[in-house]
Amino acid sequence: MQTKYLTNKHIPMKKLSFILVFSFIATLFWSFAPTNTGGDRLIGVWEPSNGRARVKIEKIGAKYYGKIVWIKEPIDPVTKKPKTDKNNPDPDLQKVPLMGYRMLKDFTYKGNDEWADGTIYDALNGSTYSCVIKMTNENTLNIRGYIGVSVLGRTDVWKRLAIKK
Amino acid sequence: MLFHSKFLPFTFVVAAFSTGSTIWAQVPENTDTIIVEEDYSLYDNVEYTEEGARRFCSPKIEGLSPAKLISIGYDYQMGYNMSADTLNSIQTGPGSFNLTAQDAQVLSSHGMRIGFNIPVIAKTNLVWQLGANYWEQRYNFADPASLENPMLKTLSAYGLKTAGLSTTLFKPLNDKYFLLFQGSADYSGNYTLKDMMPLNYLKYSAALIYGKRPSELKQWGVGLARTYRVGEINYIPVVLYNSTDTRNKWGTEILFPARAHVRRTINSRNMLFAGFELEGQSYRMWNTSSVDAFQMRDDELEIRRGEIRLRMVYEFSLKEFIWLSIQGGYRINYRFDMDRLINGEENYRAFGLIDQPGYVMINNLTNPLYFNISINLVSP
Repeated sequence: MQTKYLTNKHIPMKKLSFILVFSFIATLFWSFAPTNTGGDRLIGVWEPSNGRARVKIEKIGAKYYGKIVWIKEPIDPVTKKPKTDKNNPDPDLQKVPLMGYRMLKDFTYKGNDEWADGTIYDALNGSTYSCVIKMTNENTLNIRGYIGVSVLGRTDVWKRLAIKK
Repeated sequence: MLFHSKFLPFTFVVAAFSTGSTIWAQVPENTDTIIVEEDYSLYDNVEYTEEGARRFCSPKIEGLSPAKLISIGYDYQMGYNMSADTLNSIQTGPGSFNLTAQDAQVLSSHGMRIGFNIPVIAKTNLVWQLGANYWEQRYNFADPASLENPMLKTLSAYGLKTAGLSTTLFKPLNDKYFLLFQGSADYSGNYTLKDMMPLNYLKYSAALIYGKRPSELKQWGVGLARTYRVGEINYIPVVLYNSTDTRNKWGTEILFPARAHVRRTINSRNMLFAGFELEGQSYRMWNTSSVDAFQMRDDELEIRRGEIRLRMVYEFSLKEFIWLSIQGGYRINYRFDMDRLINGEENYRAFGLIDQPGYVMINNLTNPLYFNISINLVSP
């Protein structure tokens, strides 16, 4: 069977130009329009209820990650140097700076304002917990860390931050 | 070829815009370490996006021992002597009393201790937890067949049990001040599953504390409690003082007079405590189904048990969230006396300042060493 290849000879040039221009405009609109109905609403800077840190949530590939970008008391009172992950049970990681530490990992958007399948790391005790994130409104997250089943856990409320202009 | 070559650059631009956000957001695959340099000073000066949002203080401070969600333990007191008094009471029901005082040797007293504490609401401006617990104390006498005193006989046959529900509310008022409420209802006595007491014998305890959390390393508070920790009902002032030093090596965990401990943090998963706990409850003498000559139901008798436990505690993580707690110490008897309620009314004595009515049995216990071990699932 002979294969027929589609060439520009089959599409009038005027029509092809229209398609391309339309595609370009549509793509531009798609790229810059606010994506406030999907999982990307999680992206931003958030503050846990204790106010001790600020966490920037980003999207990498199809998953969401949060790293520490601000610490209320960034200097270790003992070493007089920037705080590190000294409570990590892995000795090799105890010298990793807390600033920039990825404490939220591997979240995927499940719909219905919920991100799940991720983990949260508590630098105060070096423990990693299963975690589910629920957005109660555009500026508030319920972050529930738990052990095994959700009922064995604790929920913290995070608030969205904006950089002052 | 799909498009004419002169459209190729244009096609690339379209494709770039289509996938642009993904391309520009790519970072290395390793998600543990942030490689991309970033100017973190950007995040020094921020504000809430939500109008009216406020900061509230946390119920915890840094360095505190982890809260226990589930605890299963065993408590063991070594041998001691129990001197049971005569019963100075009026029998109004059927049966007859053996009023003889008697000394008995307790080889050990021991029992399971199970507790649950589950967070129900955890909002920034309100934390609410519910708990349940079951403790039992069994008395292993040297010669049970020789027991004649009715109190000794019922302790030997049934021991003492407490089943309770508790609730804790933490209400931050702002980023420094808070209110803490703890309440519990305890079902305590010598009942068995086959012979349960009416629920109106529940004992209610509560404490309300107004506190301040001036820093991440300290919180304190003062308040008032209604408590049975010394055995009988009392209304007492309470002081909360939790602290951690800047090196996170030493700290205190104090809710005086219920408990007070100095904490030595070896690391975040190994902690040593020295201090005391005041432990007690009021136990309804209910079960008489197979113990003759002690018809207590008509006399409304309760054992007021209060003891001070001087102790050392070592708590450590066995694996991740599973912690073991081992404690040993000296149990000092504060009170193990029998009270008679008149028409169900509590006798309030204000730590002995009010001496009437007197106890119907004044019993003496010598003080043994004790040990306690528990395995715990700790809270995130």
